[in-house]
Amino acid sequence: MGKLLSRRQVLAGSAALATWTSCSRAPAPGSQPRVTILRSGYGQGLRDDVRRLLTGHKVDVRGRRVLLKPNLVEFDPGAAINTHPLVVLAALEAFRGLGAADVRIAEGPGHRRPTLDLADAAGYFQTVPDFERLFTDLNLDEVARVRLPRAARGLRSLYLPKTALDCDLLVSLPKMKTHHWVGATLGMKNLFGLVPGAVYGWPKNILHWAGIDESIMALNSVFPRMFTIVDGIEGMEGNGPIQGRRKPAGVIVGGGDRVAVDATCCRIMGIDPSKVGYLKMAETRGQTGEANVRQIGEPIQSVRTAFDLLPEFRSIRLS
Amino acid sequence: MALLACGCEPAAAAHLERGAQYLAALQRPDGGWPPRASVDQSTWVTALAVLVLHERLPGEAVAKAVRWLLEQSGEESRFFRRLRMWLLGLGGAHAEGEGWPWFPETAAWVSPTVFTVLALEMVKERFPASELEARTRAGRRFLWSRRCQDGGWNHGSTKVLGYDAGSYPETTGQALLAMRGEQSARLPEALAAAEGHLRTCRSSGGLSWLRLGLAAHARPPARPAASEPPWRGLMDVALWLLADQAAAGTSAFWS
Repeated sequence: MGKLLSRRQVLAGSAALATWTSCSRAPAPGSQPRVTILRSGYGQGLRDDVRRLLTGHKVDVRGRRVLLKPNLVEFDPGAAINTHPLVVLAALEAFRGLGAADVRIAEGPGHRRPTLDLADAAGYFQTVPDFERLFTDLNLDEVARVRLPRAARGLRSLYLPKTALDCDLLVSLPKMKTHHWVGATLGMKNLFGLVPGAVYGWPKNILHWAGIDESIMALNSVFPRMFTIVDGIEGMEGNGPIQGRRKPAGVIVGGGDRVAVDATCCRIMGIDPSKVGYLKMAETRGQTGEANVRQIGEPIQSVRTAFDLLPEFRSIRLS
Repeated sequence: MALLACGCEPAAAAHLERGAQYLAALQRPDGGWPPRASVDQSTWVTALAVLVLHERLPGEAVAKAVRWLLEQSGEESRFFRRLRMWLLGLGGAHAEGEGWPWFPETAAWVSPTVFTVLALEMVKERFPASELEARTRAGRRFLWSRRCQDGGWNHGSTKVLGYDAGSYPETTGQALLAMRGEQSARLPEALAAAEGHLRTCRSSGGLSWLRLGLAAHARPPARPAASEPPWRGLMDVALWLLADQAAAGTSAFWS
């Protein structure tokens, strides 16, 4: 039987549990979670934008191992389905510039097995120098069994990839997309890609049986140290996260409070975050309330662009 | 897959033996195999292990593996689940047949069903035929019920919220492998879907599965052109060799 838990994982899990079980309340003045919204595009300025975003949050990764987790889903270069490779490259260079000892890229797609071919089709080989050496296919990585600080229905532990468990900072790099089961898929939902397909299959159906909202909570509880940078330059609306339409929003959104970042993205998309199940479950400092998050950069109102929603999700539209 | 691909190579006999011994030692007391030595759970890879080892393991070990496979089925096909779906008015296309899950106590999907059908076909002469035949027939019915609108297969979800989902090259090739010997009016459309994917597929693994699936129906395609996608690792090379062998008339996936 594999090693159940390392001391490092127990400590990390305890910290996460302490955070996640604290009661939901509005933050004290001055302690509000901060979220940065920057207008950006897939051009030369993107590198500076990502660097500026990280610097603004005083992200200290000197000597640390950083893992970038983009969202790779499908072979469809014409659709805004995968995290754009220029966003990944910008994050890679920014974290290196901040002194990280090691920056790797990793992903475990949920439906398609040829991960490297998928990354190639998405432009990663062409855009990110030495991509293959930097990349780990999380579907095939060595795994360790981890007891979930926050269990989901019938799911008390999961085998998770060591590459993710061993990093010092996980950086979620999702695409801003609507989602046909949970309303919106952003930084927190992006952690589904950490679950190894070689163990649980393609799709990672064990998460669906445990409940998608509950599984999002469970996975996030394993990784207390996470920073999120959302690729909202071109998102997906309608029947996301696979069959939707391209939706330019022209922003990158980032911060160290994952709930606040996702909630802010929802507001940009014209979605009420308090009606997104996992965000409501996850908020510990009232992050689904706009007044409880300190916005840096562009005001939400100036970049809001209503994403088209499937009829089943019209009730989560921000009024 | 590498062991399957090397099965016909006399020069690889010693490596094959060592690999087979390693795999055989990983069999769990319940008869199944874990996907890694560090995983304490039998899963879908049991079908692959049976495909590789069925002639090398003692009969008792194969019997335990087959028993484990026969005990598995998609959660959605269990009686109370079906009853609940029926009561909620959610029964329908997905209720046909009985497939296999990737991981115990989850739903059935295309790939694990394909590999289990192939494994059970390989050992059926050594076991009472009725149960194996009933399950492989139910497995194929499941696969037919999960065919996409375009004639091929994806991972096994043909519709999401009423919207049609498209098929994938790799799973279309795999499903056609499991349909070897089937006489069905639906087959020409499935073969046409595979041939369509062959023209646009951008993964070596996907191309190899398509070639295997088409060869299983005596329609081996010409080897892809020089601009073929690169091999990304051992799995791609093994699949390529298996596809070449199938095109030449022999295959580790059927006897």
